[in-house]
Amino acid sequence: MRGAIAQGSALFVAAVLAAVLFANAPASAQALPGQALAFDRSKGNCLTCHDIKGGDSPGNLGPPLSDMKARFPDRKELAAIVFDETKRNPQTVMPPFGRNLILTDGEIEAIVDFLYTR
Amino acid sequence: MRISRASVVVTIAIAALVVAGARPAAAADSIDPDADFKAFRDYYTKRFPNVPLNDFVNGPYSMDAELRKQWEAIDDFPPYDFAVDRGKEMFATPFKNGKSYGDCFPDKGIGIRQNYPYFDLKSGEVITLELALNRCREANGEEPYSYVKDEMASLTAYMAFTSRGKPFDIKIPNDPRALAAYQNGEEYFYARRGQLNFSCASCHVQNPGNHIRTEVLAPALGIVAAMPIYRSEWNGMGTMSRRLVTCNSQVRGVPLKPQDELYRDVEYYLSYMSNGLPISGPGARP
Amino acid sequence: MRTYLFVAVVCLLTGAAQAASTEADYKTALAAAEAADQDAGALKNQWIPTEQALAAAKKAAAAGDFDTAVAQAKEAEALAKASIAQAKEQQSAWRAGVIR
Repeated sequence: MRGAIAQGSALFVAAVLAAVLFANAPASAQALPGQALAFDRSKGNCLTCHDIKGGDSPGNLGPPLSDMKARFPDRKELAAIVFDETKRNPQTVMPPFGRNLILTDGEIEAIVDFLYTR
Repeated sequence: MRISRASVVVTIAIAALVVAGARPAAAADSIDPDADFKAFRDYYTKRFPNVPLNDFVNGPYSMDAELRKQWEAIDDFPPYDFAVDRGKEMFATPFKNGKSYGDCFPDKGIGIRQNYPYFDLKSGEVITLELALNRCREANGEEPYSYVKDEMASLTAYMAFTSRGKPFDIKIPNDPRALAAYQNGEEYFYARRGQLNFSCASCHVQNPGNHIRTEVLAPALGIVAAMPIYRSEWNGMGTMSRRLVTCNSQVRGVPLKPQDELYRDVEYYLSYMSNGLPISGPGARP
Repeated sequence: MRTYLFVAVVCLLTGAAQAASTEADYKTALAAAEAADQDAGALKNQWIPTEQALAAAKKAAAAGDFDTAVAQAKEAEALAKASIAQAKEQQSAWRAGVIR
């Protein structure tokens, strides 16, 4: 009798642990890849202002995004720009994607990953 | 204790300086529309030295030669013609009580668009052309029109058309309420809003002539002169109210109600900044 | 007995993440979000995503999905608070961009 209860409990624990693990999966596992996020008008919408290789009909309010690894060797700096460029330049027209909750931290990281391929 | 003559002189001198430097309490003191006007004008003429002053009223066409060619190509059959014709017909049609729009306006409403908005000292508010038209309707027992739909666009298209070429003549009376309305409009124009954190100035002061995706941005100088516009993107006419509402939602800000006090104030500010520039409306835009 | 204790500890540890939100939780979260959105409205600076999150919260609650409803209501509150911060900052910051 004790053995059966122990087995049932162990199964229950396993099920709970599994549910927890799946529910708390890292955001990037479910988020779109970085390029899709960058080009999506409801997400990064980067092409509205920036020329990025792979994108069509870009705007020119911001500089072209190329050579990114060389220009932004510090990943944290690039992420900070996407998060809130007004910190560096109070008059910037770049939306503060992190501060204004446009993108999640995970989405910003994914976009930075993508930008490092441009 | 004897007070020396020298110290008396110094004390009086300091007192005089303090009095001279003291600023009156009124906030209106710091509002200087004429200085703003001059700085605004100089900014655009310096940034775009090859654009004739009067051409700024053509918005993106004054910024982009390719776009201008496309615009000139459609000029033989302007897309707003139907709106002007409709507006003319509405002007000629009496209300149920026998009166008509002409009875509400100076000069029967013909050739007066360049005087709007104005500050009404009696009611202490900015009166725009759209507001005046609906108040005219209500005063004569008619239902007001939507500020964002075709009837209002037709009326203002016709009135703009009768004022084509006339220079903006916006007045700011020397009244603290008028100056406050002017400044509220200026503040609205420069303040960031919406989740995307743009101000009107972000596009129209910092980036005229640049493009978001494929859309060329117009300079703020003269930007209201072409209203109302036929917008190809909208497949129809857009009133001043519609344009402001749309700009708000494009930066993910919940729009204010059409003809909200702030919308009227910003129209007042932008119109004053365009004083002397010719009415170019109704306009056509991509 | 030790097995039961083990299960209880695991449940406690995961309990915070796994306990289902109740209708009461939702109502509390919604009230906070709507109050913040109203304050943003008084400043004439509501954001469209705030309204969308509020609508999503109400829709989820109507369907009985209070986990989603609470999450959306909390998102709405965060957005509303960000819009209030923006409006308050801009009350003085707007001057920095004026053409002089």
